[in-house]
Amino acid sequence: MILILGGAYQGKLDYAKAAFNLSDADIFTCTGMEIDFSQRCIYALEEFTLACTMQGIDPIDYFRRNRAQWQECILICQDIFCGVVPMGADMRAWRHSTGQLCKYLAGEARQVSRIFCGLEQRLK
Amino acid sequence: MIVFISGGAKNGKSSLAQDLAVALAAGRRHYYVATMIPSDDEDIDRIRHHRADREGMGFKTVECGRDILSCLPQVDKSATFLLDSATALLLNELFPDPTGGEMDVLAAERCARDLVTFAQSVENLVIVSDYIYSDAARYDALTETYRACLAKIDRMLAQVSDTVIEVTAGTYTLHKGEMPT
Repeated sequence: MILILGGAYQGKLDYAKAAFNLSDADIFTCTGMEIDFSQRCIYALEEFTLACTMQGIDPIDYFRRNRAQWQECILICQDIFCGVVPMGADMRAWRHSTGQLCKYLAGEARQVSRIFCGLEQRLK
Repeated sequence: MIVFISGGAKNGKSSLAQDLAVALAAGRRHYYVATMIPSDDEDIDRIRHHRADREGMGFKTVECGRDILSCLPQVDKSATFLLDSATALLLNELFPDPTGGEMDVLAAERCARDLVTFAQSVENLVIVSDYIYSDAARYDALTETYRACLAKIDRMLAQVSDTVIEVTAGTYTLHKGEMPT
């Protein structure tokens, strides 16, 4: 599994498309609590974690249960960790669970890349 | 040479940019492109602070808060330019009326293209932007548009830059090229 992180609008998906020769048909964009791991690339994990957080579900549990399914996936998550502590409890919980998930996934990943202004920084 | 610098606020981007611009100028002419259009006492105070900071470094100041290509006829293009910051320039372009009113998204797109043209028209450019993309918040449409426009500028500039530097608490991560000496 390959994990790609980076702030909003930094070009994470563009990087993934170019580096791994992905077409739009290879990409699953998260909008809720279900992920289609049959796609090569899972985009916007932060939307998945947001949906989970709002329902009180632990996103890491979901990934652990489906571990066999995402071993060959490219996972993309927005870095939401460097701002001020959010005022709202929901946003704080979202930030927390997303951070926990990224740490878990980074541990599992064979490659971790951060995208900064369209440029790749290899973290692992 | 084009040097792009970004990073979090108050981390030392401007100081590094000034030092690099002076180094690149190597005793020749260097301009400071002042992008902020002051709208209150706080802005005026900030400008005073920045001016004091640059004193003695030999910068010639060019005021240009909007339409960045418009200052080219009045400057020596074989000089070194410090533009601090893309963030302020975009703000002026995107919100032509600072007291309110409509966003000018077309002006923001022009601003991005013009900055690339500017960068490629002068001998050396050191340009500063702000990394405002990593917080856990759902912003209003206005703020999201601003973030998206600035990110577009950042990515276009990073692509044409020889050197891309991220500043964190006064330390540097080199994302592209070499540190100018």
